[in-house]
Amino acid sequence: MSALQGTAGLPPPRAFRAPVSRYDQTSALWLLAPMLLVLLVVAVFPVLYSFWTSLYDLKLTRPHRVPFVWFDNYLVIFQDPLFWSSVWRTASFSAVSVAAIMVIALLMALLLNEEFRGRRFLSAMLLVPWAIPYVANGLMWKWIYDSGYGALNGALFQLDFIDKYMVWLGDSHKTLPLIANAFVWKEVPLAAILLLVGLKSIPADLYSAARVDGANVWRRFAHITLPSLRPAFMLVAIYETMMAIRHFDLFFILTEGGPAEASHVLAWHVYVETFRKLSFGTGSALAYIIALVTFLLAFSLIRALGRRL
Amino acid sequence: MARIRLQSVGKRYPNGFSALENLSLEIEDKAFVVLLGPSGCGKSTTLNLIAGLEDVTSGALYFDEQIMNVVPAHRRDVAMVFQSYALYPHKSVYENIAFGLRMRGHPAADIDRRVKDAARRLELEALLDRRPHQLSGGQRQRVALGRALVRQPAVFLMDEPLSNLDATLRIAMRAEIKQLHQTMQTTFVYVTHDQAEALTLADQIVVMRDGVIQQIGSPEEIYDRPRNTFVASFLGNPPINYLEGMLTEEGEALCFQRGSLSLVLPHALALRLKGQAGRSVKLGLRAEEVDEHSVPRPGETLHGRVSSVLPVGSDQYLGFEAEGKLLFFRVGRDLRHREGENVALSVNVNRLQIFDSGTGDSLLWSGNGA
Repeated sequence: MSALQGTAGLPPPRAFRAPVSRYDQTSALWLLAPMLLVLLVVAVFPVLYSFWTSLYDLKLTRPHRVPFVWFDNYLVIFQDPLFWSSVWRTASFSAVSVAAIMVIALLMALLLNEEFRGRRFLSAMLLVPWAIPYVANGLMWKWIYDSGYGALNGALFQLDFIDKYMVWLGDSHKTLPLIANAFVWKEVPLAAILLLVGLKSIPADLYSAARVDGANVWRRFAHITLPSLRPAFMLVAIYETMMAIRHFDLFFILTEGGPAEASHVLAWHVYVETFRKLSFGTGSALAYIIALVTFLLAFSLIRALGRRL
Repeated sequence: MARIRLQSVGKRYPNGFSALENLSLEIEDKAFVVLLGPSGCGKSTTLNLIAGLEDVTSGALYFDEQIMNVVPAHRRDVAMVFQSYALYPHKSVYENIAFGLRMRGHPAADIDRRVKDAARRLELEALLDRRPHQLSGGQRQRVALGRALVRQPAVFLMDEPLSNLDATLRIAMRAEIKQLHQTMQTTFVYVTHDQAEALTLADQIVVMRDGVIQQIGSPEEIYDRPRNTFVASFLGNPPINYLEGMLTEEGEALCFQRGSLSLVLPHALALRLKGQAGRSVKLGLRAEEVDEHSVPRPGETLHGRVSSVLPVGSDQYLGFEAEGKLLFFRVGRDLRHREGENVALSVNVNRLQIFDSGTGDSLLWSGNGA
């Protein structure tokens, strides 16, 4: 006891931190080396190499002549009207998809946050779309949308909403919304789970306090649930926006950018440039542009939503 | 202003658990009532029923003459302070306090005036723009109080509001809450498991256990005239000591007998125990009702051995072996007994408690006398 006497009034002792010895540092480096090496080979090198490629006019149709063109590839891209129309299509696809994902996921999370019979079963079912690979999801929707034997045609026909089978994906006005629908179906589960975690972390006392303060159910939702979910919303918005902007699989499987250019989005544009026209230079440059746009979007979303956390 | 009446109220949860059974309680207008009991005794449930946060499953709840069973919380004129404070984390202190008024549609000027009044009263003026996470525990507590008092409710409910504060602050806040009650002139219902809080704050204490009221009374009544061993044990520090024994008659006098111990009960107590001689009872002896200064008189003496001395600053606790039992007493710190010493203590026989050894009900205060 006596050792403790006389310490009152003194500032608390600093947290003790052992000096890091040179031995510790070098052994740590050695232990990390294998992973660093792997990252170097599979991540850092390709990133740098593709940037390097984007500065060359590299076309596999004439592999012997590869001139260094500085930023000409980027200029070519920006002068291509198809690029700008694909930017516009990507933007509208992403905006609609992310908005739909957020609304549906919120409703889903609110439902699963209630206690009712079969809640566990429903939660498990909710995870199914999430567990399906993108390609399988694409094939499934291709079948549903099929003009000859698709389930959508079957259902709508039997319910008398249509009087003949439709070529859904062939209608350039319907293509993007239909692909967005398939995308939303696949993405909602993860978003719903993230929001559900947010809902579960709201202390019940806050709702009690608001009830006593005279707030009815709508006001409790507006004043407690929504503001408390802001971090979860931010996470979902950033993640899903990035997923939507870069999304490729469904466009490849369902429409290959068609009909005409109705679903020619940025990711598809990269594919066409690189693997159809075999122009690796412009393809790499495009990939860089997408990465930059994605980064800027995420950054501004974090700024916009994060400031008010 | 409201008088609260619970009439045979029961609360049963869907899983079959019964939190309250047949609880009847009347809380006078402007009273300060403390619901006291261990956790799980139903005191918080009772508070939630009054607030409307939970539904009454049987019986009736009245505010004055109006039945409230189905009136939702947001239509009742009550305010509540929570143990966790439950401040809205994304709202400023100002908005936290103003929220209840906004929800009830007060005009903006009125809200502003009232919030600033409350802030001045609770010394929160400098903090109005802060968020709850920027406040200390004591400041949060004040905001929670402010949020409740700004509404000038008919009923003020508090659910263990001080248990998250450190000891010094707790005592200061107790004084403030007591003052608040005096100036607000409204009904307070306060839930706690802390006997000291109950004794300092309450006009009336309601001691509860397993959803059943054990005793209702003023702090003095509850402390001096406990109706059963549960109430007696729940108040007092260190807790009351018990000795099993017999009531015997010796000539005119009624005595408590256990082994070589014989305590003569004073006339006032003996009157209440008429015809109980020969009964086996449990003697209750509060920790402070012994004296080692005065020379013990026969019939008021407890012989024993000091087994431990525990100084607690202002007093010391004495572990005392007597009649084969270990008892704890609180004595002044000026007396220094050594461990192992044999001592004769003088017992304040006027303050003895006598309970039925089987049921634990008081034989002194069970009837209408309590």
